[in-house]
Amino acid sequence: MTALVIIGIIVFALLGTPLFIIMSLAAMVGFYFSEIPLVAVSIEINKIASQATILTIPLFTFAGYLMAESGSPKRLLRLAEATLGWLPGGVAIVSLVICAFFTAFTGASGVTIIALGGLLYPILSNEGYSEKFSLGLITTSGSLGLLFPPSLPIILYGMVTGVDIEKLFVAGIIPGFLLIVILSIYSIKNGSGSLSVKKFDAKEALAALRGSWLEVLLPIGVLAGIYSGKTTTTEAAAVTAFYILIIECFVYKDLSLFKDIPRVIKDSMSLVGGILLILCCALGFTNWLVDEEIPMEILRFMQEYLTNKYSFLLFLNIFLLIVGSLMDIFSAIIVVVPLITPIAAEFGVDPLHLAIIFLTNLEIGYITPPVGINLFISSFRFKKPITELYRASFPFLLLLLFALVIITYVPSLTLWLVN
Amino acid sequence: MFGFVKKFDLAIEKVAQYLLVVCILGMLGMSVLNIVLRWFQSHILWFEPFVRYLVFFSAFLGGVIATGKRTHIGIDIVGKYFEAKQNWKAHRWVGRIIDLISLLVLIVLTDACMDFVAEEAKYGRENVFIGIHAKYLAAIIPFGFGLIAVRFFNNIILSFSSQFQFKTDEELEQLNESMGEAK
Repeated sequence: MTALVIIGIIVFALLGTPLFIIMSLAAMVGFYFSEIPLVAVSIEINKIASQATILTIPLFTFAGYLMAESGSPKRLLRLAEATLGWLPGGVAIVSLVICAFFTAFTGASGVTIIALGGLLYPILSNEGYSEKFSLGLITTSGSLGLLFPPSLPIILYGMVTGVDIEKLFVAGIIPGFLLIVILSIYSIKNGSGSLSVKKFDAKEALAALRGSWLEVLLPIGVLAGIYSGKTTTTEAAAVTAFYILIIECFVYKDLSLFKDIPRVIKDSMSLVGGILLILCCALGFTNWLVDEEIPMEILRFMQEYLTNKYSFLLFLNIFLLIVGSLMDIFSAIIVVVPLITPIAAEFGVDPLHLAIIFLTNLEIGYITPPVGINLFISSFRFKKPITELYRASFPFLLLLLFALVIITYVPSLTLWLVN
Repeated sequence: MFGFVKKFDLAIEKVAQYLLVVCILGMLGMSVLNIVLRWFQSHILWFEPFVRYLVFFSAFLGGVIATGKRTHIGIDIVGKYFEAKQNWKAHRWVGRIIDLISLLVLIVLTDACMDFVAEEAKYGRENVFIGIHAKYLAAIIPFGFGLIAVRFFNNIILSFSSQFQFKTDEELEQLNESMGEAK
């Protein structure tokens, strides 16, 4: 009977039933079998309202969507081109950096590809990059940067596990740069030869900086505010959203307060609503799993086959790559993290290191066939068949896997800045 | 009948959108005001819990919008397969099954949450902040799930109308926009 119910829930999930419904159903079934009244599900849901950091999710997402809808991508792209465009493979590096910046604010929700893809694709093509390379680069860049603060997946990970979000922000910086550096080297290699190399133009760089300095200040301001102790992460989210709202509506005047802002709120909150509902509904289910000691059962089973930390990490990577290619990052964090954190602790994996391994895997999951979400977004955005995107992203997928191996087996890369 | 259901559904969306604008601007304004007040060694105590409940309420309102736009997060392997094969009949039936499962789960969930509200009415704190009883805050949950359930119900009804059927998300968006203009 239990097996039948579990299979039924899995079938519903594979059909495409919203995950918050699947989580609620799983929680209700779990509580029913444990003879706990269903009212316990709503008690767990209500708990989410007492989390102080909950405010960061809607506000950072709103700020990211505001930037994506404004002229900010164009301004920042001009600055990045002026300052980095002279490097060999410069335009590709510009694309990587600018996408990472946007993804850190929009939380790898596909907005980066939608907002920047249309701008970057013709620039890359004009520079002589092949269609395959350009598509692969933009598709991969859509999730690049989610290890940088104030990325939404980092905040969510901190909320679910109780790991200090500010420490997580620091821990992601070096691994995040490593991913950009590896992809940049590949871009330089691809860009050498026939492609043009621009000269550095100080005048253009200054003009571009004058045009975008209010936005350039933002990540510096957020980090300085948090790490100087002047603001908490929650306050930083409020200040960021308020600041972006003011500059985009009243300084740059890219957005109208009455015409555009309600639309941006609607779009950003439909994503936030989806994430928070999964978080609410999964709390009941994951707490039931923990009460039933399911993670410990899994641990006992794993200890029979995995003898040390390194074999566990290898298994974890394979497992998370599969999860990442099937599930989106938000649901994976909410559902899978509570199960693996106690197991990883038993194997002696540092919680911060685990977080970065987890997030890197899920970042790679965005471009992993068959259902990596960036592949679908690019296919929709550039009107290309999904199989073409599979081929275009494949070299980038291999490079990210190489970076993952380094991040996994060199923990000091993650922990050095924190310590 | 289908026209009435579609208009009713869009009305829910409009109300949710207006409430979301109020919630977001409210949480933004209150959070920033409290930061500014802190510079003057002052702050308004009830802003912080109030903002948290605004976020909580916004989550459900966002869910209401996502249900209408069919953008809830899910593992959409089967739907994507039929979409790629352009088998719209099968695609529509998968959509109906998903909506029906969601509706049934939400009915049970809303009912369980109503029990929670009843318990909060009996044993909950009388003054969580600014004199608001815990039962009103707990009522956000069944209200939110109830509203989402109504939209899933509307989705099922509308999927049988040839006028309001759609294949892709873009078609749905165009349809909603044209309905908005018609009003």
